[in-house]
Amino acid sequence: MTQITRDTLMAYADGQLDAAARAAVDALLAANPDAALEVALLQRQGDAIRTLFWPVGAEPVPPRLRVRRIAAETRQHRRRSWGWAVAAVLLVTIGLGAGWLARPLLDARPPSATLIADAVNAHIVYVAENRHAVEVGSTDSEHLSSWLSNRLDTDLGMPDLSAEGFTLVGGRLLPGAPNAGGRAAQLMYESPDKQRVTIYVTAALPDGQPAYQFASYDGAGAFYWANARITCTVVGTLPEAQMKAVAGAVYSQLTEGDVSTGRSYRG
Amino acid sequence: MSDFLDQVEACVPALRRYARALTRNADLADDLVQDSLERAIARRGLFRPTGPVRAWLFTILLNLYRNTLRASRRKGETVHLEAVPELSTPAAQPGHIALAELARAIETLPLEQKEALLLITLEGLAYQEAADILGIPLGTLMSRLGRARAALRVLTGTPAEPHLRTIK
Repeated sequence: MTQITRDTLMAYADGQLDAAARAAVDALLAANPDAALEVALLQRQGDAIRTLFWPVGAEPVPPRLRVRRIAAETRQHRRRSWGWAVAAVLLVTIGLGAGWLARPLLDARPPSATLIADAVNAHIVYVAENRHAVEVGSTDSEHLSSWLSNRLDTDLGMPDLSAEGFTLVGGRLLPGAPNAGGRAAQLMYESPDKQRVTIYVTAALPDGQPAYQFASYDGAGAFYWANARITCTVVGTLPEAQMKAVAGAVYSQLTEGDVSTGRSYRG
Repeated sequence: MSDFLDQVEACVPALRRYARALTRNADLADDLVQDSLERAIARRGLFRPTGPVRAWLFTILLNLYRNTLRASRRKGETVHLEAVPELSTPAAQPGHIALAELARAIETLPLEQKEALLLITLEGLAYQEAADILGIPLGTLMSRLGRARAALRVLTGTPAEPHLRTIK
């Protein structure tokens, strides 16, 4: 008789053998009730262990174990950690650049000026990017919306600008002004002729007062408004009429359902 | 990249199941899985796509689990065996293994036997894959499995081992 070890029986019971080895064990088991009992016991043990724990794998996965959510958070941590070095350089650049560009606004230093300057700078930095224009693409727009909404702690829908000829490219999270929640979301839209506009959204300023402002820097137009819930700056280099049409569409869609907006936009 | 995330995601139910069986505590188990996923995603650059993602994830989870055990042992924390929830036990029938008894018996196994036994019986991994995850030779894996099973048999009082005189 072929020599069959206890290990082989165990491997057989665990389904680890190939067809030929299995056939050999089958033949042995048919002739040897002791070995057959041994295998049956091993198999019963395995069945019992699966009965105990297998159902856990069928339980709904809790949100904190969602892989994409963890990936998004990890990306942020990473950016935050090496971000300090970049932030130092960026801050100097932005400070000088924005300070110079926004001189007329910063003279009075209203909080909106900071937000608009941030929005314009973010616009200039990221519309120039091709592969890395956005962090999360529009193909994942549901995730984008819920992610940015969570980060800004407000409900942020993705405005639909198809009537104005623009489609959503995607969005990213940016550091923002401390008095507006410290975080900002940038959404980027693109027209078929590769014109890009960005929308820069933060949580509301502490006063939560409605405000409206149109500013222009070096050919980039920035339309800013604030309400009790958010501040929003639409930035682009479009002709003024088109800029206003886009800004109006963004405004009406982002303030939809807000009762406290005070007055509606008239571009 | 998202292909990698999809593969990780597909492993989450198995990781939860395995972690629950190891720790016998739903919160601890999910903490362990969360830590493993965070580590895997943060270090995905280190993952060589030659091996399966699943094995890599199990390796990470087991390393984290051993570290926590070591840390809690240093801190002198005790594991409360009494806290093990009672499972509903089917009426004892001859030849049937009482599940609650089995659960408690698994808990008393040395970790090296328990982790091997669960990889094979619960997760259905190939011996070689499990040996790679545990970083041990195939023979060592099989002897741990054999010892784990013999111990469970004694602990659960299943019929004594038949004598295998005719086979070696």
